[in-house]
Amino acid sequence: MPAWEPFSRRRWEALVRTPFGCLLRLFVGRMFHGGGETGTGELGLGVGAVLILTAMPGLLVSLLMFEKYGSLIRWLRGDGVFDPFAATIPDEYFFIVLSASVTGAIALWRWDSIFLNRRDHSNLVALPIPLRTIFFANLSAVLVLAALFALVVNAASFLLFPVAVVGSQGSFAIFLRFALGHAMAVVCASVFSFFAVFATAGLLIATLPPVAFRRVALFARFALAVVLLGLLASVFTVPDDLERMSVVNAHKLAMLPPVSMLGLARTVWVKGNDVFATGIARAALSAIGLTLVTSIVAYAFTFRSSFLRIPETADISLLPRLRLSFSRLALVLKATMRTPSQRACYDFTTKTLFRSDAHLQIVSAFAAFGLVTVAQTLMSIRADQSFSIRHSPSADFLSIPFILSYSLILGIRFAFEVPANLDANWIFRFWLPPGDHLPRSVARWALLSLSLLWLAPACFAVTLIFFGWLDAVLHTLVLIACSILLVEVLLVHFRKISFTCSYPPFESNAGVILVAYLFGFFVYTDYLPQMERWSLLTPLRTLCFAPLFAIAFGMLYAYRKQILEIDKQLLFEEQSRSAF
Amino acid sequence: MLEAQGLSKFYGSVPAVQNVTFRLERGQILGYLGPNGSGKSTTVKMLTGLLAPSRGQVNCDGQNIQNDLVAYRTRLGYVPEDANLYPYLTGEEYLDMIATLRSMPVAQSRSRIHALLELFSLWPHRQVALGSYSKGMRQRILLIAAIMDNPEVLILDEPLSGLDVTSALIFKSLIQTLTAKGKAVFFCSHVLEVVEKICSQLIILRKGQVIAYGSTSDVRQSIGQSSLEGTFLQLVEERDVSKIASDMVDVVVS
Repeated sequence: MPAWEPFSRRRWEALVRTPFGCLLRLFVGRMFHGGGETGTGELGLGVGAVLILTAMPGLLVSLLMFEKYGSLIRWLRGDGVFDPFAATIPDEYFFIVLSASVTGAIALWRWDSIFLNRRDHSNLVALPIPLRTIFFANLSAVLVLAALFALVVNAASFLLFPVAVVGSQGSFAIFLRFALGHAMAVVCASVFSFFAVFATAGLLIATLPPVAFRRVALFARFALAVVLLGLLASVFTVPDDLERMSVVNAHKLAMLPPVSMLGLARTVWVKGNDVFATGIARAALSAIGLTLVTSIVAYAFTFRSSFLRIPETADISLLPRLRLSFSRLALVLKATMRTPSQRACYDFTTKTLFRSDAHLQIVSAFAAFGLVTVAQTLMSIRADQSFSIRHSPSADFLSIPFILSYSLILGIRFAFEVPANLDANWIFRFWLPPGDHLPRSVARWALLSLSLLWLAPACFAVTLIFFGWLDAVLHTLVLIACSILLVEVLLVHFRKISFTCSYPPFESNAGVILVAYLFGFFVYTDYLPQMERWSLLTPLRTLCFAPLFAIAFGMLYAYRKQILEIDKQLLFEEQSRSAF
Repeated sequence: MLEAQGLSKFYGSVPAVQNVTFRLERGQILGYLGPNGSGKSTTVKMLTGLLAPSRGQVNCDGQNIQNDLVAYRTRLGYVPEDANLYPYLTGEEYLDMIATLRSMPVAQSRSRIHALLELFSLWPHRQVALGSYSKGMRQRILLIAAIMDNPEVLILDEPLSGLDVTSALIFKSLIQTLTAKGKAVFFCSHVLEVVEKICSQLIILRKGQVIAYGSTSDVRQSIGQSSLEGTFLQLVEERDVSKIASDMVDVVVS
């Protein structure tokens, strides 16, 4: 055992025996464990799992860099002169964006746990500890977490990226310079991203009444998720743009935080000899400072205006509550359901989805992914000069509703697996017979009504405006058929009332399922629109979709038929599959 | 010991509590009764210093508690209405955290926590996360947290909520024993039988105002009722409860 260990352990134990240290540990732990009750649907991953998950993207990308920058591979490619500080700009940008996105995503995920809440008030304020101790302990916990995540998210790339790029150069000075520049850029990106989310949440809490905040919070999170995904998507365009642009335009592009962070790396790499890079590096540091100060000021305001006033405000647990009026359409849908149980379960499913914060977040994340992908597609449509003079829609244009449909249906389907409040599922256990087959029909209607109900008319209207009646009708019909097929595939093994079953156990084939989803995404949003484009050139060709769909539905029907009756019965507790 | 002087609290222009005045001495249990929304919890929050009164003040041994809340809270044990605990901490970890925050000496806190966990029948569950505890078990954890630092004043908001019969009986005896040792207990509850049995003083609140205050027997006699239930209904409930129940049955049966 190292000599310093007993000393540091003693110091640590002494710290956590003080009220400040005890609170610091409590608040750091809360960030990992979340703010909700056990069994109410919050996925508590534990410290180790969260850290591993956050470190994984950086590790995987760093390992890929060995393939790209290995000296043998460069020699085989015939890269003679290699300037690591110029050649790695696109990858450095990617690391910066990845670092900002992952850290920002963590801050978004644990948004509720960053600030002091009702539980903290109820447990801590009545104790004989000064309020400033609670204030500074939570602030310190946030700073500790920001530092921890900045290190963990980038830990692998700190070492592996410089080794991959300049490891074979034989100069320790170059290695150090490269590593330092890279580390500064990615850590700054992480810190900026974390505190940008923290500041946004803090400003909203400080300025809005509690009820309004709870309603706005979801939209703010959704917007931030779109921004983070947008940043991630910028790796496909920004590095190329930077190479091509004039200095004036590059200055405009440097308004993007990751670009200015790139300036930090470049400044260290070229020892400050690049005036443009030095300028934007200074701007990056100022932005980080400003975000930090804004966060702390906002936090101080929230402590005063929100936390200390908790006893005066009612506990609002069932929020955000979206009052979307589907009443008339819902009446039509309910009419198509045969039994009262189906109608009750449909109501439960849609209401839970719209009113449960956790479930809305899941759907929002998938929707944000869809929107960012659509934004990219729209950019490429805009770049396509021939769009306005075309007589039939391009594959890019046709893919837009498919992207939205896939991301939304998958998001809602994923949310179905997350329990809302397991203690409350007794009502379904009590009333529904185990042999009831209603879960699939309810889930099917929920998925279709929440996606196609607005997507199909929108798709029809937009196609009508640009390409006329025939294309609009055919495109909408294909979209409807594909969405129904997707829903049927996703529900082939579904046998639970949404949100009422415990989490599914980790399956050893989870990786394969993930690959299948990604493959499905490409088939659904790329191959199908291309097929459709081919068919729309001569509308009669659209008829070839009919046998394809018939075969697909037939296969699904046959597959369902061979599933044992016991495997179709209603399920309330997921069990691990037998190893045999 | 603990004194409320003309306590009032307004939320905007809405009065939650108006002009509540009482005195709680050492060795006394003061029962605080009232229907839902009568201002009980608001009073409790003002007594614990969680909420500043709009008017009036709370004094402890003649000192306004707002002058030094930390010093006041070292003398206070509090059981809140909701057992809103950290679900990922174990029972023992939670109590250890409370002991640290109360700056209790380590050896003393450890021995007390272990002994109280044993006495409250929670020893086998001490390493279980609070999220898995039943409501009654959480309530017992809150009771231990309130009494383990030997406070002079106990403020209990619905302390019997979720407790089983044995635990409730033990708790009632515990409160009486603590009072015999000179503690002052403010007991806020809906359970009239318990209040009647253990409280020496009684306050009945209606729409934020005190409508009866005195010893339990005095309050009963002044209304001319033999039971606290009768007294409470006469003072607080404007409607005929039998009639309401009968109407409910009519709705269901018809």
